[in-house]
Amino acid sequence: MNMQLHKENTMLKTKSPDITASAIDEGHPTTSMPFGNALIELGRTRPEIVGMSADLAKYTDIHIFAEAYPDRFYQMGMSEQLMATAAGGLSKEGFIPFATTYATFASRRCYDFMSQAVAEQDANVKLIGGLPGLTTGYGPSHQATDDIAIFRAMPNLTIIDPCDAYEIEQLVPALADHHGPVYSRILRGNVARVLDQYDYRFEIGKAALLRGGSDVLIISTGFMTMRALDSAKELKSDGIDVAVLHVPTIKPLDELAILREARRTGRLVVTAENHSSIGGLGEAVSSTLAMNGVCPELRRIALPDRFLDAGTLPVLQHRYGITREAMTENIRRWL
Amino acid sequence: MNEITNLHNSSLKDHARRVRHNALVMAETQGQGYIAQALGVADVLTVTYFHAMNHRPDQPSWEDRDRFLLSPGHYGIAHYSVLVAAGYLPEEELITYAADDSRLPMSGMTSYTPGAEMSGGSIGLGLPMAVGMGLGLKRKKSKSFIYTLMGDGELAEGPTWEAAISAASYQLDNIIAVVDFNQVQADGPSTKVMNTEPVVAKFEAFGFYVQRIDGNDMSALVAAFDRAREHPEPQPRIIICDTKMGCGVDFLEGREKSHFIRLQPDDWKRAYQALEASSVQ
Ligand SMILES: Cc1ncc(C[n+]2csc(CCOP(=O)(O)OP(=O)(O)O)c2C)c(N)n1
Ligand SMILES: [Mg+2]
Repeated sequence: MNMQLHKENTMLKTKSPDITASAIDEGHPTTSMPFGNALIELGRTRPEIVGMSADLAKYTDIHIFAEAYPDRFYQMGMSEQLMATAAGGLSKEGFIPFATTYATFASRRCYDFMSQAVAEQDANVKLIGGLPGLTTGYGPSHQATDDIAIFRAMPNLTIIDPCDAYEIEQLVPALADHHGPVYSRILRGNVARVLDQYDYRFEIGKAALLRGGSDVLIISTGFMTMRALDSAKELKSDGIDVAVLHVPTIKPLDELAILREARRTGRLVVTAENHSSIGGLGEAVSSTLAMNGVCPELRRIALPDRFLDAGTLPVLQHRYGITREAMTENIRRWL
Repeated sequence: MNEITNLHNSSLKDHARRVRHNALVMAETQGQGYIAQALGVADVLTVTYFHAMNHRPDQPSWEDRDRFLLSPGHYGIAHYSVLVAAGYLPEEELITYAADDSRLPMSGMTSYTPGAEMSGGSIGLGLPMAVGMGLGLKRKKSKSFIYTLMGDGELAEGPTWEAAISAASYQLDNIIAVVDFNQVQADGPSTKVMNTEPVVAKFEAFGFYVQRIDGNDMSALVAAFDRAREHPEPQPRIIICDTKMGCGVDFLEGREKSHFIRLQPDDWKRAYQALEASSVQ
């Protein structure tokens, strides 16, 4: 990995490149801090909602909840294992903690604590992971490429990867209404707003067909749904008709909707996720299809099974094939 | 202080100025970053690399070297500043900081940078890693020390304390932990985010030889590192360094939101000037 001596003097000063971002696609309106604002709104009528963070409140947008309700927010310091376990404790006393850190620490560092203090005891904890998948150029320590794979094997845990601000605003109250442990990725800062154009409603455990199409079916999750929709528009001008099935809940998986759409013959099926090709949506869909004897031509857009490079985000997302451009290019190639 | 000590300390000050300058060059290419930490910890790293450590910059894997572990990966900028000053890396590479395919990624990793002994970034791994290396070096009958730099926010991580118990239990007198106590972490002032004090009493109770010093006072640093190496008891050592974020650039010192700083283009020139002015005294 990058051990070669670098072409030192030729590298020009770049303009300060993006190193982290929620989604870097242009052409979409954005909403500021949808998670934090939705939690504040929910807090108005639900006194049992409390916030927690492990020294990443400002970086997961829960700091505005802490400002709005200072006595309902618990700063746990940089102690993720403690936060997960104490969240289990708060839930035993009847509270609903929304506990935030980065997705990488939520999954890798908190795993045993989430399993035994939260999921096994059916604690009503909502663990929220910022910086999902490849949304930072810091390198493997911060790139949560495996959080969904890690959590999918945990019994009794609901797993969500939302697409945009419109979905995040809806999922916050939905998580509070759902009794039980949840792990949800979120996007922070200025977050693209896309799904309000598609007559969409978020419901835990439900996939949604956002557009029909006769040549290709993209089954996508997280912000890859935004890219799937944009790619579908682009491919339309080539005369390629692309359907998009958005699957925000990875577990429990909406197998009925996936099978229903994949059974329609004559379409290339493409899964798309901002996650490792191992253990995420793509593998979940493949296994559902295989176990039910549904065998369309199938392709996967996902991050490779390796520790990803550090660098600037647009370059890295392109390098690993999860930009809209890469998606469009690949689909053309696969047809 | 005798004349030779005075001379040595003044050359350390020159190195520290170079280290701070290097940090500014990197931060300027990004327009933002962990510059206040790099300026604050510059004296600590200067004394580590130019006074305390036994090492060969042209031979980063030399078996008999003292090891240096950087646990908070975002201190990469601080570490590269001293690695360049010490000759591990050419100065020209500073402007590649955090760029694609650079050997100086935003978060320090061992596979990228000569002289980086561990991949940090997921904070809390430094002291546990030192325990393993400490055990390994003892098995090899090595006399090398392991210097492990931690942030003050890292003192809230459980693994730090698991390692502390273990280091004392195994009498790992080859570990010299160094804490950059800069009073800041991601969400704000460290003592407000999570109060870890009294830190000296805690580490003493855990079996460490503890010193707490002004981490921007060169002679205090030199004396503390000397005592840590020469301490006769078979126990791990820790130096708590109280440092000033932004030290050396007056308008960055004591800034309230200093974990990650963004500056306007004009401010970088001011920063170099402030550094120049501060080192005149
Ligand atoms: C395990 C882990 N949790 C959270 C983070 C995110 N993070 C990066 S730096 C930081 C603050 C660390 O505090 P300190 O070591 O005092 O650093 P300083 O603010 O002084 O730079 C946090 C929470 C991380 N890198 N690793
Ligand atoms: Mg600190």
